[in-house]
Amino acid sequence: MKSYFDKYENLHDSSFEDFMAHELSSGLCEVFPDNLNINVRLSVLELSLLGEGSHRHLSSSIRLQIEAESVAKLPVHFCEVIIIQRLPRGVFADPFELQHLHERKVFTNIAVFGDTDLELPSFRSNRSVVEVHMDAGSNILSGLNNELEINVQFPLHARYPPLDESGYSIVEIGEPDVLMSCSMEVKHQKQSCLYMSPHNSAKSRTGTVAWRIPSGKKAHAGFVSVVTFGTAFLSTLSIVLTSIYCSGIKVSKNLKQS
Amino acid sequence: MNSLNINSIFLISAIFRVGLILYGEWQDAHMEVRYTDVDYLVFSDASSLMASGHSPYKRTTYRYSPLLAFLLIPNSFLSPSWGKFLFSTSDLLVGLFIRIILKQRKVPEDLCTYSVLLWLFNPFTFTIGTRGNCEPIVCAIILWIVICLMNGKVVQAACWYGLVVHFRIYPIIYALPIIFFLDPCFFQSGTKPLLCDWTSAHGKTPQINSEVTDQCDIWLAFKSIFTRSRILFGLVSGSVFLFCTGFFFYLYGWEFLHEALLYHLTRTDPRHNFSIYFYHIYLNYERELSVLEKLISFLPQFIVQLVLIFCFAKDLLFCFFVQTVAFVAFNKVITAQYFVWFFCLLPLILPWSNMKLKWQGLCCILLWMGAQSHWLMWGYLLEFKGKNVFLQLWMASLLFLAANTLIMIMLTRHHNFSPVFRRHAGSKRASKRD
Repeated sequence: MKSYFDKYENLHDSSFEDFMAHELSSGLCEVFPDNLNINVRLSVLELSLLGEGSHRHLSSSIRLQIEAESVAKLPVHFCEVIIIQRLPRGVFADPFELQHLHERKVFTNIAVFGDTDLELPSFRSNRSVVEVHMDAGSNILSGLNNELEINVQFPLHARYPPLDESGYSIVEIGEPDVLMSCSMEVKHQKQSCLYMSPHNSAKSRTGTVAWRIPSGKKAHAGFVSVVTFGTAFLSTLSIVLTSIYCSGIKVSKNLKQS
Repeated sequence: MNSLNINSIFLISAIFRVGLILYGEWQDAHMEVRYTDVDYLVFSDASSLMASGHSPYKRTTYRYSPLLAFLLIPNSFLSPSWGKFLFSTSDLLVGLFIRIILKQRKVPEDLCTYSVLLWLFNPFTFTIGTRGNCEPIVCAIILWIVICLMNGKVVQAACWYGLVVHFRIYPIIYALPIIFFLDPCFFQSGTKPLLCDWTSAHGKTPQINSEVTDQCDIWLAFKSIFTRSRILFGLVSGSVFLFCTGFFFYLYGWEFLHEALLYHLTRTDPRHNFSIYFYHIYLNYERELSVLEKLISFLPQFIVQLVLIFCFAKDLLFCFFVQTVAFVAFNKVITAQYFVWFFCLLPLILPWSNMKLKWQGLCCILLWMGAQSHWLMWGYLLEFKGKNVFLQLWMASLLFLAANTLIMIMLTRHHNFSPVFRRHAGSKRASKRD
């Protein structure tokens, strides 16, 4: 995703899809002997939001299916599943939190690209993308049939949403794009290539997850401002009167004594 | 209390803090929820960037002076906990300075010890340093400035003051009271100012100190504002501040100026915090606030600060305390770490208070903690349970301001005002000590 953000400033779905189709097609796996037919299927089984409130975990279950006509004699290879999760403006991932997870060896690698500002509300922010790499094992392409289920979970945080009369704002997170990257040594050179599931125009089984975030109500604006300033004024008056009264006693008694 | 001498208190405090730091390391490594403050990780990252020759401002959310990153450079090669040990040492220094100040004013041993204990064993205090928050350094410098002023060392006080305002902007509120405090009646060239000592009468009944004659009162001070000590203090502290700012601007450019200085002056955070203004800011965030609105929100702070300074500047420590409480309470953003700014001054005013712990003192403590806990409850429901309780949370912040105001009023009414200095024996009007 670094190369996407080197090229584009912000995340837009249309430019992202073009990028995925165009840039990554040049990296597709074509290094195997011609008569070898290995079918790799990656699908998102389940997408869910765990937890409550403004700090939750996004959980995705990925199924990796490898079907081969015959047992392939391939050089030693290592594969990893790459999950690319696009995030809407209303949520963000904390890069330092993800780095902490990486240090604890939860993922092979994890990074967030795009707008990672922790403080701005959503209407002043831009979108971001989390890229996760999970180890899929070694030599998985050599067997007849292989199936692997991977569960990926990482923390997300809600931004302050725009005001809404209902008092809540809904943020929808779609399912991630999933790839598999395999690297092997071919003719004394290390090569890697990507597997991608073909783009399925039909509605996916998992769909999106909805995150309901509390938002301020515009109807409160006038009342809140008046009462806020009124309270500040009353507090100020109390402190001022007390201070003048308490130091006033001192001055009047001094004048009496002198 | 007699069996527990002051050295033992400091030793136990030090061991306790070392234990907490070690526990914090264990918790960070083994539990999901960290003991260490998020800010400490920001400082550490910034200092490692500085150690490798880069700008500390490459670390997002690093909004402090480069001095802080510089102090934490040993985090990279000595131990990641070096900063925590440094902050906890400053925390212990604050305890030491509290004792020095009270001893210099002849406060009895038992009152001194209670005051020191109030700082060293306040749960808020010992967690803040051991979690890696840098506020104890600021508190230690401010108390050292007070000690310098009490001993007539104006230039030294000015140097430290310029440095501390560069480090953390809020001590700028102490500028005017210090200027008033440098009264020519007490700060005469060649002589050390005479301290006004605590007496047993201070602790029992409200005393009006007759030291302050009408010739040395605040109005005369205002008229004769340009005195040697005042000009010296202003020039030296201003030069130190400008030198630090200029030097770091030369090294790190506009990024330093914006992140370390301008951000704090213009900061408005719509996210929920203890301030009464947070919901008003969030509801109006999408539109630009008018000049009038900005002025109205600044006016209470401005008026309260001025009135407190004019009323209490001679009793410098009490003035600092009430100013700091008011500054925090009326600020646009209030986070829990700001409370330590006045916690370090509270032990220095209590020996002059006739408020008894039972029951007025306890009521104040319970009121303040109750108002805070009430806010935290609604904050928890909003942030961790996702309930829309913005209105209730905002009302809780109004209650918190009310609690702070009430406690300030009670402490003011029960305080025995005692100017820090008294006149020399040979001066024109003879002074009387109570």
